[in-house]
Formats: sequence, C-alpha cells, structure tokens
Amino acid sequence: MSHEHDMLNRASLDHCVKCTICETQCPVARVTPLFPGPKFVGPQAERFRHGESVDHSLDYCSSCGICTTVCPQGVKIAELNSQARAVMKADNMPIRDRLITQTMLEGMIMSPLAPVANAALGMKPVRYAIEKVVGVHRDAPMPTAHTQTLTKWLKKHKAPASPRTRGPIVFFHGCAGGYFEVETSIKTIEVLEHIGFEVLVPNQGCCGLAMQSNGLFEQARKQVLKLCADLRSAGRDLTIVSSSGSCAGMLKHEAHEILGVDDPSLIDVGVRMREMSEFLMELADAGELPTDFREIDVTIPYHQPCQVKAQGIGMPAVHLMELIPGVKVVESGQPCCGIAGTYGLKKEKYAIAQAVGKPLFDMVKATNPKLAACDTETCRWQIHTSTGAKVVHPIAVVHAAYGLSDDLLV
Amino acid sequence: MKTLSVDVVVIGGGATGAGVVRDVAMRGYSAVLVDKGDLAQGTTGRYHGLLHSGGRYVVSDARSATECAEENVIVTKIHADAVEETGGLFVVGPDDDPEFSDRWAIGAAATGVPFEEISVGAALQREPRLNPRIRRAFSVNDGSVDGWQMVWGAANSAKRHGAQILTYHRVTDIFTANDQVTGVQCIDEKTGEQVRIDAGFVLNCGGPWAGKIAGMAGMGDVEVVPGRGIMVAMNHRLVNSVVNRCIPPHDGDIIVPVHTVCIIGTTDIKADDPDKLPIPREEVQQMLDAGEVLVPGFRDARAVHAWSGARPLFKDTRVQATDTRHMSRGMSLLDHGERDGLKGFISIIGGKLTTYRLMAEHVVDAMCEQLGDDRPCTTADEVVPGSESGKTYVVTHRLEAREKDRLDEQILCECELLTRKMFVDLFHDQPSANFDDLRRQLRLGMGPCQGGFCAPRATALALETGIVDAERATALLRRFLTNRWIGLWSIVYGDQARQTALDSWIFEGLLDIEHLPATAPEEVVL
Amino acid sequence: MKAVVIGAGIAGLAAAIRLNSEGVDVTLLTKGIGGLQLSQGSVDILGYAPERVERPLEALAGFAATNPGHPYAQLDADVVRRAVTWFADLLGPDLIAGDPDTNVLLPTAVGALRPTALAVPSVLAGAVKPDTRYLLIGFAQLKDFGAPLAASNLARQGIAARHEIVDFPARAGEVDSSALRYAQALDDKATRRRLAVLLRPMVRDGETVGLPAVLGVNDPGAWKEFEQLLGHPVFEIPLPPPGVPGMRLNQALTQRAKDARVRFTLGARVVGKVVDGDRLVSVALGTAGRTRDYPADAFVFAPGGFESGALELDSYLKVSETILGLPVETPEGEPTVPDYWADQPVFRSGLRVDADMRVGGFSNLYAAGGVLAGAMRWKEKSGEGIALASAMKACDAILEGQR
Repeated sequence: MSHEHDMLNRASLDHCVKCTICETQCPVARVTPLFPGPKFVGPQAERFRHGESVDHSLDYCSSCGICTTVCPQGVKIAELNSQARAVMKADNMPIRDRLITQTMLEGMIMSPLAPVANAALGMKPVRYAIEKVVGVHRDAPMPTAHTQTLTKWLKKHKAPASPRTRGPIVFFHGCAGGYFEVETSIKTIEVLEHIGFEVLVPNQGCCGLAMQSNGLFEQARKQVLKLCADLRSAGRDLTIVSSSGSCAGMLKHEAHEILGVDDPSLIDVGVRMREMSEFLMELADAGELPTDFREIDVTIPYHQPCQVKAQGIGMPAVHLMELIPGVKVVESGQPCCGIAGTYGLKKEKYAIAQAVGKPLFDMVKATNPKLAACDTETCRWQIHTSTGAKVVHPIAVVHAAYGLSDDLLV
Repeated sequence: MKTLSVDVVVIGGGATGAGVVRDVAMRGYSAVLVDKGDLAQGTTGRYHGLLHSGGRYVVSDARSATECAEENVIVTKIHADAVEETGGLFVVGPDDDPEFSDRWAIGAAATGVPFEEISVGAALQREPRLNPRIRRAFSVNDGSVDGWQMVWGAANSAKRHGAQILTYHRVTDIFTANDQVTGVQCIDEKTGEQVRIDAGFVLNCGGPWAGKIAGMAGMGDVEVVPGRGIMVAMNHRLVNSVVNRCIPPHDGDIIVPVHTVCIIGTTDIKADDPDKLPIPREEVQQMLDAGEVLVPGFRDARAVHAWSGARPLFKDTRVQATDTRHMSRGMSLLDHGERDGLKGFISIIGGKLTTYRLMAEHVVDAMCEQLGDDRPCTTADEVVPGSESGKTYVVTHRLEAREKDRLDEQILCECELLTRKMFVDLFHDQPSANFDDLRRQLRLGMGPCQGGFCAPRATALALETGIVDAERATALLRRFLTNRWIGLWSIVYGDQARQTALDSWIFEGLLDIEHLPATAPEEVVL
Repeated sequence: MKAVVIGAGIAGLAAAIRLNSEGVDVTLLTKGIGGLQLSQGSVDILGYAPERVERPLEALAGFAATNPGHPYAQLDADVVRRAVTWFADLLGPDLIAGDPDTNVLLPTAVGALRPTALAVPSVLAGAVKPDTRYLLIGFAQLKDFGAPLAASNLARQGIAARHEIVDFPARAGEVDSSALRYAQALDDKATRRRLAVLLRPMVRDGETVGLPAVLGVNDPGAWKEFEQLLGHPVFEIPLPPPGVPGMRLNQALTQRAKDARVRFTLGARVVGKVVDGDRLVSVALGTAGRTRDYPADAFVFAPGGFESGALELDSYLKVSETILGLPVETPEGEPTVPDYWADQPVFRSGLRVDADMRVGGFSNLYAAGGVLAGAMRWKEKSGEGIALASAMKACDAILEGQR
C-alpha cells in the first residue's frame, strides 16, 4: 500500500502518445461535454497535478476502465483518474458516496425486511425522499432484496449424489451474490456440482469495489485483505470461481493496481481466481466440459461488463453459451451499460449513465426484449430497469441447458 | 532607412540586456534594446531554469552564495509570475563523499543561505522518486524560473518606462567618433530595413556574441569562449523540488522541475561557435547516468526534448580580475573607456540568471559613474507587469484555468493546455513572430507530442487570423518542425521514439507535408 | 487447427479473418485497439519511390530491385493484388473503393496531394481530376481541419479551390469538438439535413464539396445520402487522430472478426513464450491476476512497429522487439539523423522473414505488417499494401501446412 503503485501508474503517463484511442471509446465523453475525456483528465492533466486538486470535472469519470483496456500503449488511464479522484475527495466526500458503498450492510439490513424494503423502494415518494436526502436518483436501478440469503440456502442445500470426480473448488459469490442475486450463486454452485466439483463456500466479506470507485481507498484496502483471508481459509491452491464479474476483477487486479495492495494473500487469490465463463471455457478447450446440453432455441443479447473486459480474458461467455445447441449470442459491442458500479445511481450522474447505456438498451430491445445476459449484478439491474428484459448471468443459460432449471424463457 | 535617437542602446535581449535596459529606463534614460533574434533566445532561454538559493556556491564562492540568497528573494517578488517556489534539496548520493556535505553545511551557515538538514525519510516523503539510498539531505530555498517569461517581464517593465524593444534587429556596425561611441547600425531581419540608432552610450550585453559585437567597435581582442552545456527535459515532473547533488559542481548534478517537465543539466564543453551548439549523444548518456543517481528509473522515464546553451566565458590577458568595484562574481564588466580609451561603451560578459538584476545594477552604476550622473537603482522595488498580484507560479495554473474556461475556449495545444485565444492574441500582438517565438511565450508544442497534434492546428489558425498568407503559414509550419527536431533527434528513444513514429505518421503518412508546394526560402523571412 | 494472431491492426485483423474463414480456430490477442483505428482510411500500396508513383503494382518490381531489404522484395505484385482485392471484397463497396493498379491524388487536411490506390469511397471521391473545382468546408468548432489552409495550398498547386467556414457545433453549445463527435452527430439524419440546408446556398454550380471526414461513423449510408441532400458531389478529407475513416474500417473489420467467432482478446499484453526446438508452442498472456498460456499450431505476429511499442529503441540506442524478444534487424549507424526531412534510419528496423513471412529460426511463427524490417511506410505510402500482402502470404503458408 505504498507510494510505489501510485508512482508506477503515474510513470505510465510517459507512454501516452496522445493517439486519442481512449477518447474514442470513452462512453461518458461520448454523451456529455462536461467530462473532458480520459486522455485529458488522465495522462494529460496528471502532468499538471501537484498537491491540491483543481480539476473537479474528473469526477464525471465513471471508472468503467475502458480507457485502460483499449490503450495500446499501456497507460494506466483509469487508475490515474481513480487516484486523482481519491485525492480530490479526501476532504469533501458526500455522505451518499459513503452510504452506497456499504453493499454488505445494505444486504444484511434489507434481507430480513425484504418485502417491506422492496415495496418501499418501488414507491415513488420513498425514492423521491431518498434522492433528496442522500442523492440517489429516484429512477436508478435498485437491487431487489430476497428473504432467502445464500447462507440460508446453503444450510438446507444437499449436494447431489453424483460422484465428485473433479475435487473441491472455492466459490466466491460477492455481496450481491450473497444477498441480492442469490439465484445466480445457486445456479453457479449447482452447475459446478453437476459437472463433478465439490463446491466450498467459505464465509466471506465484501471486496471493497464500491468504496474504491468512490475514492474510499483506506476502507477498501481493509476489506480486500479480510476477504482474501476468508477465501484462503477454504483451502490452499484450490481454484476460486466467481459469478460476479466485477468483484472477481477487483481481486484479480484492481485492488493491486488501483489501491496498491501488494499483500501476498491478494496475489495468491488473484492468481487462483476465475470468472465463471472463463473457467468453464478453459474446461471446454481442454475437452473436459460435459456438453450434454439440451437445445435451447434462443437469441441472446450479451453485454460484457466493463470490469470483465478489463480482465483481458476475451469473451468466454459468448463462446460458452454458443456451445449450447440453438443458442445464438449477439454481443453488444458497447463499452459500458452506464451504471459503472454506483455511478449511475447518483442523481447528478443518472442522466449521463442512461445516455451511456442507451445504445446497449436499444440493442437489447431490438435483439431480444425478453432475455439478455450479462456477467455483473449492477449491470444486470441497470439493463433490466432500462429495457424490461430479464437479464441473467450466462451461467443461468448453462444451468438451463444442463436441464437443471426450466425458468430461463419464462 | 529608419533613424532613432536615444541616450543608450542595449545590445542583446537575454536576461542581462533585459535587466540592463529596464534599469537604464527606470533611471530616466531613453533607451533601445536590440537583439538579432527574439528575446531570451540565447543563453537565457537555454538554461535549466534554476533560481538559485545560493546553496550551489556556499563552498566555492561565498559572495555569490550570499548574492544568490538575496536576489532569490527579490526576483521571486518582482517576477512572481515567472517563479515557482519549489524549494530544493541538496542530497548526498550513495557513493558521494560525505565529507563535502559537512563543509557544505558550514559554508551555508557562514554565507547566510537558509537551509535545514532533514532526515532521509523526510526527503523521501517529500520526493518519493528520490534515490532511497541517499545518505543526507538539506532543504534549501531553490526555486525554478521561466527565463523567457522573466525576460519578457523585464522588457515589458522597461517599455513601461519608455524603452523600445526591437527584436530581430541585428547590429551590423557600431559608430565611433573621437574616441566616443555615437550609435549603432542595425538591419531589421524581418523586413530587411536598415535602422540607424544614434546614442552616446552602448551597453554590450551580447553574452557569447559579446566578443563579436565588441569587434564592431574596434575592440578586436575581447575574446569570449562559449562554454556549451546540454540540458534534457523529462516528460513529467519526476521531482517537484529542485534536487541538487551535494558534491562539488559536476555534470548533471541538478534536476529542476519547471512547468510540466523536469530538467537535468548540465555539461561544460568549450564550443567554437555560439550559433552552432550540438547536443552530442554521449552527453545525453552522461545526463541519463547522472539522473539515475538521483532518481532511480530515470533512464526508463521519457525524455521529451534537449537543448544546448552557451555560457559566455571571458578570456582577457590584458586586464587582471582585480577591478571588482562593479563586479558581480562570474561576470566580467569591461569599461572600454578605461580599458581601451573608447568612451560610452561597456561590455558585460557572463553572470547568473538568478543575480541578473544585481548585475544590471552594477552595469548601470558604472555607466552613471562614467556619465557623472547620480541616479539610484530602483529595480528591486518595483514588480514587473504581470506579477502585480504577487502570486507565484504553480504547476496547476493552466489546469485550473482550463477547468474554468474549457467549455468556452478551444484548446490548441492539449499537452500544454494552451488555448486558441492565447495563441491568437499573442500573434496579433507580435504579427511577425514565428512559431518558435510564440512557443517561448506560450509553450506551444513543448509537451509530449512536440507539435505532432498542435502544429498543424496552429498553422491553420495562423492563416485564419489573416496575419499571414498560406505560403508563409506553411513555411512557419515547416520551420517549426525542423526546429523542434534539433532538440529531439538526439533524445529519440523509448517513449519519445514511439511518439516520433506517430508524429511522422501524421505529418508524412496522413498530411504528406513533405510534398506541400515548396516555399522559396529567400522570399519568406521567418 | 489452432492459430494465435498477435495484434489487431490491419495485418492482424486480416490474418485472423482469413484463417478463420478457412476453418482455423483463431484467437486474436491484442493489448489495445489496433492502429487501423488511427489510419487515414486508405489502402496505400506505393505512393513514392521516392518520386510519385502512378501505377503502384507495376512499380513494385523496380522498387523491390532497388530496395532489396524492403518487404516488397518478398511480396510481389501478384500477392499484393490478391491481398488488396480480397480485402476490398471482404469489406465491400460501401467501405473500400479504388483500383490497385492506379494511384489517385487525394487532398490532405493541409492541402497536399497524397497518392493512394484504394480508400473509403467518400475519401476516394476527392481524387483530383483535370477540371475539379473544390469548395472546402471548415467548422468553426473543429480545430483539426483548417479549410483555408487546405484550399490555399491546393490553389498554390494550380487547383481551383476555395473555402467556407461554418458555425455548426457538433453538440449544442460545444466549442471544441473532435471529428468523432461530429461524426456521431452526423450519424443522425436530421443533423445531416440541417447541415445540408446550411451549406446549400454556399455551393456554386460545378463545385465538388470537401468536408473533413465526419459524415457519420456508424451509418455507412450517411455520405451518399448527404450528397443527395446537398445536390452536389461531396467528399471527405481525413484528419489527424481521432480520424473517422480509419475508425469505420477498424469497426467493420473488428466486427467481422468477432462475428466469425475469432476469439478476440483485448486488454492484455503477451508477456512470454514457450519454444520447443524450432516450434513456438504457446504464448503467455498477462491477463488480470495471472498469465495464461495460449498454445497453437501456428502464430501470426502482427503487433505493429515503433508506433505501437512492439519495437523499441532503448536509452542505450539498442533496438529490440518487446513482446516475444525476437531478433531485430536494424540499419547500421546512427538511429536518427539531425536532418528532420531525411529518412530516420531507425524506422527501417524490424523482423527479417523468409518468403513465407516465417520468422528466422521458427517453423510456425509468421510476421506481418509494421513489424517487418526495411520499409519507410509513412514516407512511401506503403503501409496497408505491405500489411495485407504479408498477412496474406503468412496465411497461405499456414493453410498450406494444414492441407
């Protein structure tokens, strides 16, 4: 947690040749001139920064990270911006930005009260009040709370009797997968068990991503280290899979590259971490994935979240879903859905986030207005809220194709 | 032919000449400054930008150290907009002799140069990229100064006091009659017009060219030897304080943060011609090795530009360095009345940017003494135009300004955050300027891409102002690219090689600039 | 058969699509978006040798004879023709037009006349003809195109050209817009109509109207439709990055590759390799958190040259290839010379390959495009010709081996 990473990221500005590729791909700069663009606030402005923060327009950056992903030269553009924003926010963090980063807390509080919470969040006056008081936009997507948490389900869950020929594997579900998107977690576990793994689910905390993207670096670092310890407690050298794309990305590289966490436990977890589709496609490429899929005749619009794009793993979900007979995948080709973690929740950013997501929403509606796939929870909520489509993790499609569920097309 | 008549002609538009003309004008003389090129285009502009605390001289030259410490405070006040109060460090490198630092601390205390020893940990906290193996660190009041802006400030102040500033006026002759100077002959390089200036006093502030100028007045034996030194600017500020190696003066012992870059310098090699100063690759290597001692990873950082400047060194066997009445250290003041029997002619050679004002004071004192006038110097008391607010420069200035006007102003040069309006306003003000003249005042094309993106924009804009036609605009572009390359070709490696490839793709591959219709060079004076 | 292509510029994309179309399982690895995105949207074969070339394919043999170290010494006119034609067919007439046998002269953004053979049709439409009279349109809010400069420099070459500057923000109130923002605005029909209405009174009969290349980035029909709206011939002049014609080609080609299910892997750098004898077994990709091996039967190495960082001149003036650590051929002597307008020798550095584009010492590693030694692509206006022909030849050899 040294100056070293700040310095490495800062030093990377030397690689910038001003080629503008990042600017052409930035989804926020596309929709508003208020954001000067990644090249401007990144490698360009960084040469002028020393001490106090003078360029508050960098707060329009959504931290989607597309700029770093597409930069051919290796400039850590998004990382530079995140660090500059952390400096900017050090003294004037809005209370809203602290609240919405408490993802676990929200889950724990809302779950027991799920029906009440959902009803309240569905009511306009309540949302209006929330917008007024804490600055979360009244139309922004909100998670649906479930009375059944993953922990409760696991207590009752009995693994199938089929032989576990492939040994144990660790499942990292993330906060959303534990409280809001329990179904995705359940399907992931069931698929892994179906193909012969013993799935270990250690008690686990939050990865701190939301805190990081709001500039709360110190708190985020603590969360990361605690989570690494949690995940490692399940067993050494075991592969860890995640069906929460952005949380996996946090542990794979962002905690290291943005927060500057250098702890060996993080490096160990990062090396072992696999995004679920990535993991299954590695099995498929090695000829080890059972392909006794039933035919599903469907065209699925698929959006790879920016934080999964940033992992440099290609688009395994596209190839994975297309292993299923009858499935045709149409990739969105869009950089970002707009939500970018918590960005699209904020009342002053909501309209921008919606404009960012619009081409994606249009594409979903045109391709299949009923069903879409996406690897990260917040993005699914965003796409669902803006299109009405049911938006599932790609694992749900695989789950259905193995005959483990029938609700995909309902 | 145009004729002018004034009390004093100052030849040379560097720091010395600008300081002298300002002082002369403030003492109530009518004056003209002439320079064969632009202001601060010579040694003053080819400098690493250090505003000395005096620390560099505490062991070798106690009086200079004290003078620097005093002038540092004055220059910071009167040229606030050109000075950044970066602070500085003197650090003992891992293999440096620690004994010198003891002598250094004693010297600093004795000369009144403010300093404080700080722990290595504190030094690293302040400058995280500093070599963690340094053994000692002293904090001093070094600053950085934009030589161009300082000289323009002094020149504008002189103008306000009635002086005329004639750039691109090359002196071709100095007239004398009865052992008395009577005036100078110039040619306006932009228009070709002859200009005669009648004056009873000529102050030769020609720096490395001073010997040649003295020759025009018949002083064939003023031998000025240019001592060439190179400087390399790195693409961003690896340090935010001036970092000096606490050793006896050595090549590449200082890194100075100036604007968005930091500059390492310098070398000292005897040169033949101040108009032809190479930037040899072996000296670039020397700078990179030296940089590595202070900032590990220096070699992997990006060099963005290099230049070579000439210190004027005076060799005179006839006059011993005994007459120190009017002298500031490192400066030679030749009163040709006493030396050669020619009245109304003084040559000033050498000196330091930090003490430029004090030098000018000595020179003008000497002139007043010869003229029998008693007019006191007031240059330390009045701030120059542009520095009235008293706020010194900070690197965030342009970022802050663009944050305010970005939605209303086009940005011409993105690397250096220069607006279209800044360019157009200055071009209207100085319509005969070439892009390098504008660059020195605006930082056009001085960032990472070195003109790759902004040079074609500036060219199109120059034409749109109506000040120049397409032929001249195109010639300005070609000259700008040619000149930028002088400071690039020897430091094109690493990221700057990558940039050069992209820039070449833009200029050659996309715009095909090398096949634009040619400009007949004699038709266009740039 | 499995192939890995490294690089997503024109050479890498072409190789990936070509191999994929012949049934090869192709993974494309690229750190970022490729250089085609920045290109001027033309397919240059040979523009200067060093005098201006009118018949590029005919000129190739003579050019190769006088430049034995040039990539064209191993890529004859037939393979260049085949590659360029394949490429034009792949993208179709909406995206590429022209004739590989003939160079035309296209006005550049500063008013030079640049020779090329094929280009995006809206750009190619600007080709100088004996009686062309140009009206060039500038936008007050677009700093990368100076219509007066381009028109005046054309006029200095005896070509009838004048200009107009219009006040037409890309987005309401915006004073400083890139070409891309204009193109995005002009993807919209109503905006195009508004611009046509604004321009119509300015155009005189018989004039050809040149705009900066901003007529849409996603809508391939934008140019033709705009021409009809205006009622006069219209063409586009490519601008410095972000240039839209290159973006259109890159988007289309990348989409073709993805649609064909080339495994397109963006955002990670190749950081290592496994070699067994003369075979490259796999390359290691530095994905988030770990390196992952990509084994393949054949590899096409098309990472670009110095501009992409694939080739590097270090501070000790040693030239190296930074991705796989392959030996680089570099001219003797000084890497750069003081004369700005001269050839800078370092840029001729690159990989030496055999007639099948195989990299020395390897039986299954092929190189294509800007990483090849011997060319001065920008000066010669030869980049795309070299890239496509070398990619084609590498694919030929790989597919031959498969059979």
